[in-house]
Amino acid sequence: MYFEAAHPGYIRNHGDSEFSLFGRIMTKVDQFESMFRSASREVFVYERVNIESVLVVTDLDEAEARSFGDQVRQFLTVISDDEKVRWRNVGGSEFQTAGELMALVESAAPDIICTYRNLHSSAWKWSYSLGTHVDLLTQHTPSPVMLLPHPKAERSAGHAFENTDMVMAITSHLTGDNVLVNYAVRFTEEHQTLWLTHVEDEATFDRYMDVISKIPTIETDEARKDFMERLMKEPEDYIDDCVDVLQAAGVRVQVRQLVTFGHHLPEYERLIEQHDIDLLVMNTKDEHQLAMHGMAYALAVELRQIPLLML
Amino acid sequence: MNDVLVATADIHAGTGVPLETTLFFAALLVGLISCLAFEDKIHAKKSIIAGVFALSSLFLANVFHLYEYVDHKFLIMLPPFDSGQGHIVELPVYIPAIDWSVIALIFGASLFIDITSKSGLFTWIAVKLTKASKGDPRRLLWFYGLMTVAFSAVLNNVTAMIIVGSLTGVSLRKLGRVNLMLGFLLIEALLTNIGGLLTLISSVPNIIVGNAAGISFVTFFVKAAPFVAVATVGTIMLGARMFSITNLVDIEEKKEAELLVGGFDENDGIESNSFFWFGAIMLLLFILTIATTSVLPVVQDLGMSFVALAFATIMLVRYKATVDQFYRAIDWDLLGFFAALFIVINVMEHAQVLDLIGIGLAKVISLNDTVGHGAGTGVILVSSAVFSSVTDNIPLSAMLAKILQAQGTVSTDPLWWSVVFGANLGGNLTPIGSASTLVAVTIIHKNDLAMSFMRFVKLAFPFAALQIALATAYVLLFLQ
Repeated sequence: MYFEAAHPGYIRNHGDSEFSLFGRIMTKVDQFESMFRSASREVFVYERVNIESVLVVTDLDEAEARSFGDQVRQFLTVISDDEKVRWRNVGGSEFQTAGELMALVESAAPDIICTYRNLHSSAWKWSYSLGTHVDLLTQHTPSPVMLLPHPKAERSAGHAFENTDMVMAITSHLTGDNVLVNYAVRFTEEHQTLWLTHVEDEATFDRYMDVISKIPTIETDEARKDFMERLMKEPEDYIDDCVDVLQAAGVRVQVRQLVTFGHHLPEYERLIEQHDIDLLVMNTKDEHQLAMHGMAYALAVELRQIPLLML
Repeated sequence: MNDVLVATADIHAGTGVPLETTLFFAALLVGLISCLAFEDKIHAKKSIIAGVFALSSLFLANVFHLYEYVDHKFLIMLPPFDSGQGHIVELPVYIPAIDWSVIALIFGASLFIDITSKSGLFTWIAVKLTKASKGDPRRLLWFYGLMTVAFSAVLNNVTAMIIVGSLTGVSLRKLGRVNLMLGFLLIEALLTNIGGLLTLISSVPNIIVGNAAGISFVTFFVKAAPFVAVATVGTIMLGARMFSITNLVDIEEKKEAELLVGGFDENDGIESNSFFWFGAIMLLLFILTIATTSVLPVVQDLGMSFVALAFATIMLVRYKATVDQFYRAIDWDLLGFFAALFIVINVMEHAQVLDLIGIGLAKVISLNDTVGHGAGTGVILVSSAVFSSVTDNIPLSAMLAKILQAQGTVSTDPLWWSVVFGANLGGNLTPIGSASTLVAVTIIHKNDLAMSFMRFVKLAFPFAALQIALATAYVLLFLQ
């Protein structure tokens, strides 16, 4: 280091005061870097998701599995209209253990897996888990998993499982998530509505603001205002970019944006009900852990009334 | 040597200042320059160092009776001198010692630029150029290099380095080209001192020397611009070669780079469109007015400092309720340093120290006749550069300007340009040679890149040598 080697005292002597030359340079550089970082936005890149094979996994007998498969095809006309798509129904007799199911999925290598919670189990009656099979499918296979309401359960919303004319992509970090948006676009029927949502966790925000309010050098009200504005601005800009890019690519879906603060689960339940959402699209994988990431698991367990696409 | 002593004795015989007194004050001047060179070691700001020397010199000057007082009053005559309407006023001796037009010009121009930058104009230009480069490293280097030169000429070299350097960090990270960052930042740092040569108000040595020589803004620009153009191109080409900054060839890479820089939004920093355009128009008007000050009726008598103060005031009106935020941003250390330095130089003038240095300088200049081919002019340029690389170039330029002025050097003499080129380009030899190279090293460290003092010297030397050689050739061939 130059300052340490040639001028041992320089950086210390000039850095220990905000009025020092070094301190002033750093502040100015940081100000401009912030401005340029702010001007640097995540760009949405549209790429049509290619789906050539669908695996419908059930624990039903052959006839019921076929019937369920037909129901899925009717629900997903957005992909089933394409004659090239290969559909395969898997009945309950084809696997028992999670290991057997994994081997089956591996050999089929589908572009998407459609299934429901608690396979080969009666735990579907209680909304406390997804079941071992689904846990493994979502985390162990690279294919996205579409989680449908259980065929024996009568708890799906009236509009659910009929079509995908109202799709919602949900995340707490939408900016830059091209894959999530591209999947959501792919599953939205032409001329229908795609909601791109970003719900910033209010509890986390409040916790940070509580800490900030105890630091005398930070003006709390100003920090709250700037922090909130910045948190909202980035996803809003990204959604604006998505709209422009999709329009330019000739994709005919109506994009609507929702960027807000809230407590995740109640907020999403409210939104689903309010907008008659047919399909929720969300991320489940977390590169830092093996299990499904926190919010996704809670949503997948509790939001049972409509289909979920778990990436 | 004997000639110098004889000449010195002649001067002192005529002025009544004993040689011992002159040598004593010369030692004080050496003390000031040494302290400025070791500013970081003694942990004191320039204004304090120069302030202490100014007060001490003034006190000692009065101990040695170097100033003439009438009934203990320091009197000066105000114009008009020849119509009989002028009158004599009493002022503290240190007030007329300061060149207030230089202080006012720096104060007004920096205030104006600081407010104009709030309009988002400079960041808009910077982001626009980044996007225009399509993320190609070689093209980006050219655009950032030219932007550095332009910003250094219009703003100042420190602000230019801060703007372009911080954008370089952000954009190269976005492009995944962190490996090129050191080369980019070093080249930009070396270009700030080239850009600082472009106009009369681009750097402090230019202002001091230009004012003393009576060189107009337009003349300065016309004479400096060809060198700036050649040195800029040479520096960028050498830099691209040294740091292997090449064009993208692969089509996929080109597409990806274009997409990444396409994510920059040039309008992000603009809070008000009307103020953005107002700032842009005012900047253009400022440059035009400064350029034509010497021919504008009325304004020509008030000078460039009036123009700078007037434009700053117009901009301040926009922020009339919160102007204090801009006053806080003024570099008071720099202004205090100038004021104190002018006082020291005034004392040195009265103590005949400048005459003594002038004799030595005359010997060097006489090499033009004895050796020929402008050898003296060249020696002054190179020695100014070497001197500026280790200590502040402002005392050097102020002192040399005063001596050349006292010797009646005409404004067309290439010696003025030797001082201007040497004082500016010397800053590129070491990381402490100029404020902008120091900023560059700070940004380099902020980006976790290693840069020792010697490594900087080693990397910068080929550039500095090229620039100084080009400048010497330019002065001797085209400005003689």
